[in-house]
Amino acid sequence: MSSSSSTSTRPRSGDTPRARQTTLAALPNAVVTREQFTATPSAKRGVSRSLESQLRALGCEFIQAAGILLKLPQVTMATAQVLLQRFYYVESLLDVSLLDAVAGALFTAAKVEETPRRIPDVVNVLHYLRQRRRGGDTAPLDGFTQDYYDLRDGLLATESRLLVALGFDVHVQLPYGLMVNYLQAMGLAGNHALAQRAWNYLNDALRTPVYVLYQPHVLACAAVDLATRHCRVPMPTSPPWWEVFEAEADEIRAVCGWLGRLYADPALPANLPLTSAELARHLATL
Amino acid sequence: MDVETPDTANRRTESRYRKDRRVGEGTYAVVYEATETATGRRVAIKKIKVRQQKDGLDVSALREIKALQELRHPNVLELMDVYAHKGNLNLVLEYLDSDLEQIVKDRSLVFTAADIKSWMLMTLRGVEHCHRNWILHRDLKPNNLLLAANGQLKLADFGLAREHADLNCAGRMTSQVVTLWYRAPELLFGARDYGPTVDIWSVGCIFAELMLRTPYLPGDGEMQQLDVIFRALGTPTEEDWPGMTKLPQYVQYRAYPKQPLRMLFKAAGQDALDLLAGMLRFDPAKRFTAREALQHPYFQNSPRPTPHERLPRIDAAKARDEEIAGVKRKLDALLGEDAMQLGGESTACQCLCSYHLLTFAYTATRLASLEDGATTKRVARRLSFSMGV
Repeated sequence: MSSSSSTSTRPRSGDTPRARQTTLAALPNAVVTREQFTATPSAKRGVSRSLESQLRALGCEFIQAAGILLKLPQVTMATAQVLLQRFYYVESLLDVSLLDAVAGALFTAAKVEETPRRIPDVVNVLHYLRQRRRGGDTAPLDGFTQDYYDLRDGLLATESRLLVALGFDVHVQLPYGLMVNYLQAMGLAGNHALAQRAWNYLNDALRTPVYVLYQPHVLACAAVDLATRHCRVPMPTSPPWWEVFEAEADEIRAVCGWLGRLYADPALPANLPLTSAELARHLATL
Repeated sequence: MDVETPDTANRRTESRYRKDRRVGEGTYAVVYEATETATGRRVAIKKIKVRQQKDGLDVSALREIKALQELRHPNVLELMDVYAHKGNLNLVLEYLDSDLEQIVKDRSLVFTAADIKSWMLMTLRGVEHCHRNWILHRDLKPNNLLLAANGQLKLADFGLAREHADLNCAGRMTSQVVTLWYRAPELLFGARDYGPTVDIWSVGCIFAELMLRTPYLPGDGEMQQLDVIFRALGTPTEEDWPGMTKLPQYVQYRAYPKQPLRMLFKAAGQDALDLLAGMLRFDPAKRFTAREALQHPYFQNSPRPTPHERLPRIDAAKARDEEIAGVKRKLDALLGEDAMQLGGESTACQCLCSYHLLTFAYTATRLASLEDGATTKRVARRLSFSMGV
């Protein structure tokens, strides 16, 4: 919406004017500005860059795992992860607990993608994942315990907070369909190993900030680029094939760089703080 | 650079508007007339009621926001802003004071064939835009086609709208959509993988209603609705509509004969009837798409559609005066009856009497609110419809 995009809180809609957008998307995805990206609300409150990206990755991992347990389609899980990433460019990890944000993003995405899930189910699945990570009791929660109420209230509070934070723009255009289209256009869709690999890159990329930095056609091209390199499928280079899909070489290189960094990083440490209170205590001990 | 917090931004949006009066109330929202203070522009604010937090925020509100953000078209209601206030969602929309239902019901207005063509053209343009963006409206009816002061028609109320592109969702949409009289036969048979042509059926019903000046297929219940449809258009056979008998809630109906539309629509042109028949085909695959309907010769043939500034419109002040006069007459009549019956002794008489007192009280409130200007015609009409007064 033109009127609300003037507020600086909302991730901006890039600098491509809507009329020039020629991809399949009717609306471009919201992307963050340089200021929003370098000085996140959490960073301003003393959360280190590496800790923040670990927590973001952990949140995405939770969403992916919860989505599988809730039998949600990948589209819903991906939307939820993008919403979570966008959310923490507006709100701080110290103000909204990671677990609550995960619950809110997943619950909202399930509604937005027309695959709604009931609150008790979402709460119990998150409780299970949390307990498993902490090594606690994983038995389902009784609906009348304080623990259950806390999780539920956190979910409901974050749901509206998320909408306000994102300026009510919950539109997420995902690159999966585009990627398959591009493979088909180049006659590569028959190569299942290639398609699967590109698909997996798009899944993994959800843990990096690329979905809030680039438009979906760039992500689709980057996934195809990495997959063809890995599977040793020769591609036209002069002129480079991605020019047909309006992507640029340096954008693709940047996305591949983020993925490379993701794979180079060691596994997430086991004792990451899951709530704002835990995070505050963790920062105090540093 | 310091970034504004979401809360201040939200409050800033809220402070740009001033709610003036309550205009109407739907199942999930209250509508206010408001002013954008900087420009003095009239807007409507739709406040979504928070249901007792069982499922969190209302899905229809999310659907409406999502659909309207994506759709920008002269024939689709504009969503100007959204803000939250005390946990309620507020949608700031264009303010439009009348709708097509009021026009159809206002007996003092005379429509020409050109007027009907103009409304149909604007409706179909809006619908085509939705469908091109893979959005189904799923609740088209005259009441949801709002009219701007300059006569432009705009589709409104996207609370049931949804995207239909997702293949993973195919076969999992609910058939409980669209107001009964405008509901396509495949929905009545419980189809769950329907497409944009459900909206076209509704547009067909609206077209017929514009010509007849009364609802075309007014059924009393889901079962009876199909009976009404088949009585009007003839019961389809498996040949007319392959796959019909395999629909989840298919039941056999009486075989009514097919009658030419000409029987009912005596004054309509052949091209108009042809378009109507195309939009009311039983088989969703054979029914016109929005684009096919727009390309129909009906829209090229004379008469040319009336320019929207010159379409018949409701005189708001006159309409309210008439309604007040009507209610007053009713009150006088009720007073007379009660005076007579108050003398009666029997229980039956007393029951009747208290019933009349209730009606009286209700009618009096309605009159008060009308004269107050606190409620518009639209609410009053909705209430009178459900209470049967």
